Amino acid sequence: MAYKPQYGPGTSIVAENRRKQMNPNQKLEKVRSVTDEDIVLILGHRAPGSAYPSAHPPLAEQQEPNCPMRKLVKPTEGAKAGDRVRYIQFADSMFNAPSQPYQRTYTEMYRFRGIDPGTLSGRQIVECRERDLEKYSKELIETEMFDPALVGIRGATVHGHSLRLAEDGMMFDMLQRNVLGEDGIVKYVKNQIGEPLDRAVGVGKPMDEKWLKAHTTIYHSLVGTAYRDDAEYVEYVQRIHSLRTKYGFMPKEE
Amino acid sequence: MMNASFPQVRIVPFRMLKPDTAERLLNMLTGVSGIRRVMIHGPGLPKTVPYGPARGSPNPHSDRKAIQVGDAEIALRVQVGEVILEVEDAPVIEEIRSICDGFFTGFSYRLQEGRFMKTAPTLVDYAKYGPDADTTLIGLADPRKGESPVIIRTKR
Repeated sequence: MAYKPQYGPGTSIVAENRRKQMNPNQKLEKVRSVTDEDIVLILGHRAPGSAYPSAHPPLAEQQEPNCPMRKLVKPTEGAKAGDRVRYIQFADSMFNAPSQPYQRTYTEMYRFRGIDPGTLSGRQIVECRERDLEKYSKELIETEMFDPALVGIRGATVHGHSLRLAEDGMMFDMLQRNVLGEDGIVKYVKNQIGEPLDRAVGVGKPMDEKWLKAHTTIYHSLVGTAYRDDAEYVEYVQRIHSLRTKYGFMPKEE
Repeated sequence: MMNASFPQVRIVPFRMLKPDTAERLLNMLTGVSGIRRVMIHGPGLPKTVPYGPARGSPNPHSDRKAIQVGDAEIALRVQVGEVILEVEDAPVIEEIRSICDGFFTGFSYRLQEGRFMKTAPTLVDYAKYGPDADTTLIGLADPRKGESPVIIRTKR
């Protein structure tokens, strides 16, 4: 029988959302649209419209060693062109943000190619070739994995994921890269490292509480689904915990 | 040595306050007699980007502005997360509670009693202010920042 990944345990909506994001066969719902130029502006790695700087000549122009692995693995567009490796980093609020650092890494590993994600408690960074990065970033920002108020695109100075939200529902950002306008649309006024942009980049309206509760991938007993309510998930984690603890003592079967 | 038995309370709103809201709250609290010291606490909003590739460049932030409390102007350097108060005696706490009950209508808050503010100088204070430091001012400002606390006078 062919292996069929289960992606994760759990019967709650949170578990369901986690599986949905991870499963590459599930198409993620597109919630907003952001232009390619806007993505380039937020990332801040190159000027919009400029050529991609390269780290090495295109693969077609350089002599490739006779390597069976290189024959097996097809290079991504960015790798083929010899692009530089660049990054995007997200900070996700614990108040029902639609994705979370570990969840992002799992999702990206299942869905994207040629990436190097880094997972931390409050932020998640993904590095890849510039051309691929822009494509992946667009997907991460336009789909249900993003919320303008509760997810921040922050290259540095990321503090805020575990803090209370501001009165207007925005996650704290020391550098105030994104502001909630009078029209209810969140606009990025700085790029991800905090340099002011020439023009504000709109990323849409914050999603409402009901939508967030139905699309979040974090358990939160106060504002969302409590972890203890998902008995299957708790059982799974307890099993893993028990097995790895016992394994530390190298148990021998009698 | 200061009397360490003055009660202290902490107002913790469930949302972090904008400067205008904080200004309204603090102005309502200035009407309460019996508040000895107040500290505004929350995550910092630096004037320049503290680290990362853009380190040192200016950091405009709409929440870092001056507010008018009583007769004094306070330049906010933080997003107001909580307000810590030291009061003369227990009945003042009830007065603060009734003000907060009326003030926080859009979202809730908690009023916690405990010890949230310095009552005696520490080594850092000793190094900065020396042995004869005014103990009423201890713990109200960061000794390394060179800023002094704001004194608010209200009409009685």
